[in-house]
Amino acid sequence: MKARANKAAKVGSAALVCLAAFPTLAFASSGEEEAAGGLSVIMPNLLEYVPMLVAFIILWIILAKFGWPMFNGMLEKRENTIREALKKSEEAQIESERTLAEYQKQLADAKAQAAALISEARETGDAVKAGITEKAHTEAADMIEKAKVTIEAEKKQTIAELQASIADTAVDVAARLIGEDLTEGEHRKIIERYVKEAGSFNAS
Amino acid sequence: MPANRLIAKEEVATYASVLFDAANDRGGLDAVLDVRTQMEAVMAATRSDMDLARALSDPDATDEQRYEVAKGTFAACEPELGEVLAVMAQRSDMAFLPRVFEAYSGLMAEKLDTIVLDVTTVVPLDDELRRIIQEKTKADLGRNVVLHEHIDKSILGGIIMSTGEKRIDASIISQLNHARNVLKETSDGGEC
Repeated sequence: MKARANKAAKVGSAALVCLAAFPTLAFASSGEEEAAGGLSVIMPNLLEYVPMLVAFIILWIILAKFGWPMFNGMLEKRENTIREALKKSEEAQIESERTLAEYQKQLADAKAQAAALISEARETGDAVKAGITEKAHTEAADMIEKAKVTIEAEKKQTIAELQASIADTAVDVAARLIGEDLTEGEHRKIIERYVKEAGSFNAS
Repeated sequence: MPANRLIAKEEVATYASVLFDAANDRGGLDAVLDVRTQMEAVMAATRSDMDLARALSDPDATDEQRYEVAKGTFAACEPELGEVLAVMAQRSDMAFLPRVFEAYSGLMAEKLDTIVLDVTTVVPLDDELRRIIQEKTKADLGRNVVLHEHIDKSILGGIIMSTGEKRIDASIISQLNHARNVLKETSDGGEC
């Protein structure tokens, strides 16, 4: 940037020198108006040319002394700004690439972790499923066993009740038959037999 | 309480002894047996008649009032029994009557070498049966036996013999009940 500025300055200076050395070129346009009047028409008037040259030189010196450094400073400042911006851009790019790599790595880790979690969840699900199935089988077996026990108990209870009913009926019938059919003599024979067969008072 | 129990035991023994001696002095074994029989009837009456039991033990009545009530109620009993019952009522000791009865029976066995055997049957005993029963009981207990006969149709048949402390139940109803229990308890595991 700075080199280009210096080059432009040099081209500008050469142009000024040429204009100063060949004033005819500098007034070519105005001379055209007077071309019909002779060569003097196209030649500069030295009385005007010299002060103009001096003024030009003074202007050039002023510009070279004050304007150019300011312009050059602005260019340098602009150059620095652009350079800083480029540097920051490069750093930002590097940072973004690093962040991108980091994100990609995190993404890969997350994918791996997610895959592990899914696998673990699947295994856990399978285990839970197996547990539930086994528990269901066990509970079903228990229920069946309890039902069998209940049925067996109810069966026994029913048989016992039937047996008791039959026993009550049989005993009641026997009691009625004995009470109605036995004569006094038969009762006395029974008493005699029972007394003889009964145990001893000492044993009771 | 132990002292109270000892006192009560002495009172029971005193009542039984007085009653036994008075009956024995008056009429020997027959009088003793009559008193015992009447005492059984009195116990049955006080168990079944709550008004009578309450009147004989009424805490609101005076001692003399309870004495007069008992004296009037048991006027038909043997004189020594009526007097003892009146004194027991006067002293609010009617609750001791079952224990007095036991002690009285004990005195009979001890002093007269005789026990009363309560015999329950469906039909009245004949002499042969009485002889068989007395012989068996005397052989078992080694004392003279007086039969106290009861008729109870509910035992269906057979005999129940009781001395108070010991009892032989050879009734048909008890055998039927035993058979009923055996039939109910017998099980082949539920398989028909």
